[in-house]
Amino acid sequence: MALLACLCALYAAIIVPFASYMRSKPFAEKLGTLPTVATLKFMSADQKLFVGSSLVMKVIIYFGGLAELAKNRIIIPPDYPAMSRTIHAAVKLDPYNIDAYYFAQAFLTWDARQFTIANDLLREGMKYRTWDWYLPFFIGFNYAFFLKDFDSAAQYYRKAGELSGQELHISLAGRYMQEAGQTDHAIAYLTVMAKGARSPMARKTFETRLVAFKQVKRIELARDAFREKHGRLPSSLHALIESGYLADKPVDPYGGEFFIAADGKVGTTSKFAFKGDDKQPGNKGGTKP
Amino acid sequence: MLNLVEITLKSILRDRVFHGIIFSALVFLLIPSVASLSMRQMTELSMNLSLSLLSFILLLLALFLGGTHLWKDIERRYTYSVLTLPISRSSYLVGKFLGIAIFIFAVACLLGLVAAGVVVFSSGIYPPERPIAWDNFVAAVVLDALKYILVVATAFLFSSVGTSFFLPVFGTICIFFVGSASQQVYDYITAPATTDISLFTKKAATVVYYLLPNYSAFDYKVNAVYGVPIAGSGLLLTLAYFAVYALIVVALAALLFEKREMN
Repeated sequence: MALLACLCALYAAIIVPFASYMRSKPFAEKLGTLPTVATLKFMSADQKLFVGSSLVMKVIIYFGGLAELAKNRIIIPPDYPAMSRTIHAAVKLDPYNIDAYYFAQAFLTWDARQFTIANDLLREGMKYRTWDWYLPFFIGFNYAFFLKDFDSAAQYYRKAGELSGQELHISLAGRYMQEAGQTDHAIAYLTVMAKGARSPMARKTFETRLVAFKQVKRIELARDAFREKHGRLPSSLHALIESGYLADKPVDPYGGEFFIAADGKVGTTSKFAFKGDDKQPGNKGGTKP
Repeated sequence: MLNLVEITLKSILRDRVFHGIIFSALVFLLIPSVASLSMRQMTELSMNLSLSLLSFILLLLALFLGGTHLWKDIERRYTYSVLTLPISRSSYLVGKFLGIAIFIFAVACLLGLVAAGVVVFSSGIYPPERPIAWDNFVAAVVLDALKYILVVATAFLFSSVGTSFFLPVFGTICIFFVGSASQQVYDYITAPATTDISLFTKKAATVVYYLLPNYSAFDYKVNAVYGVPIAGSGLLLTLAYFAVYALIVVALAALLFEKREMN
């Protein structure tokens, strides 16, 4: 009994520093390396769906952990290549998993800037989730917003419209897309994403970006009104506020400062990402509409 | 024979296997919380986790009951006393097999009900975008039970010749992994695009594929979780495959058990 008590005391002494060590372990180490897909398939036997879902969860929790740290101003750049590898392995095990496509769309495009990889993954998902309008909608958006390939975008928006029957997708596929600016695309997309997001973390991410783009839209409208009246672009954001085209200074929820570039495009110093998100190799920062 | 089935069931219950199952089944209660981590498919994840847990419990039961039951009876010399009665060795083995098979099926039905309860609970909190395909869910549970009955049959085949539990348990585990992957390997090797494999290897792989149990054929989780339609003819063929394959394995086990030397 005394020995057991001693061992319990020893365990109590070890467990706190042990838990602390595990918590502080580098995230990339936690995400770990994966065996090949063929090995995973063999080892998971009849638990392929479970292993696939676990891999997706692993990435979501990893990314969520980084977002929590970022809130506390601890910036650790996400390991996007490892996240991408893990998601790709997961969909080989469970090609129907919408969490995988939904999450990959979020980080592969806005953050990792890997549009072609994202579209290839989504196209693969379309082979399985034949009823799901989200996948062609994502591809259409990526083509229109990031790749500026409006013909391909129209093709996928049309497919999304056929599957969902929603007016928005049908109009995006047609006349509206040619007329709409990039900001309108972003707002339409983010509204759909924020509305459909069930986890508070995902919803918050989309809502933050939506707020930022709505501010951009405000500035764009003011800029256009200024140009119409004065026949030239405003010299700065400050000029728009001073001349009364903007009632107040738009606030970037990512902590940056909005500006009007020489060609009239509205941008922000945050590049639509929290500080530190753009430090990953290959990530050239957020998107300017 | 019926007496043997009854005795087997009683002996399983006496070994408190059921207590272990109830303890493992407590994990079902955690599933809705874990599923809430999903971004867009809470109900689907809930069903996925429930069916995966059910499969895992059935796998453990099939391995340990199938792999150790016969060996334990021989070790306890219980088999010898039973075989002094007017009962053949093959009837003894078949009776034992049926007892375990009935137990596995009953546990699958019971845990299937618990899993259905978990899915109903999760779908109440996070309504799914598509209706739940309950018929596919039932098919997935029943086919899973049949798969593990086939695992028990394989374990009995090893038990009929093995002198300890090592061969039945580890042999069955190996066959389980290989049998779960055999379809993938067969598809790869016989694909027209695969040209770098010799004709002999292809033929040999086909023979091995025909001989091994195809466990992946019984996996209907994707159909249940994502509502992917199940082809009726395919289901019937799978049921026929199960019946014929299980009968062959049990008959072979009975034959070997008849010829086994027992001192």
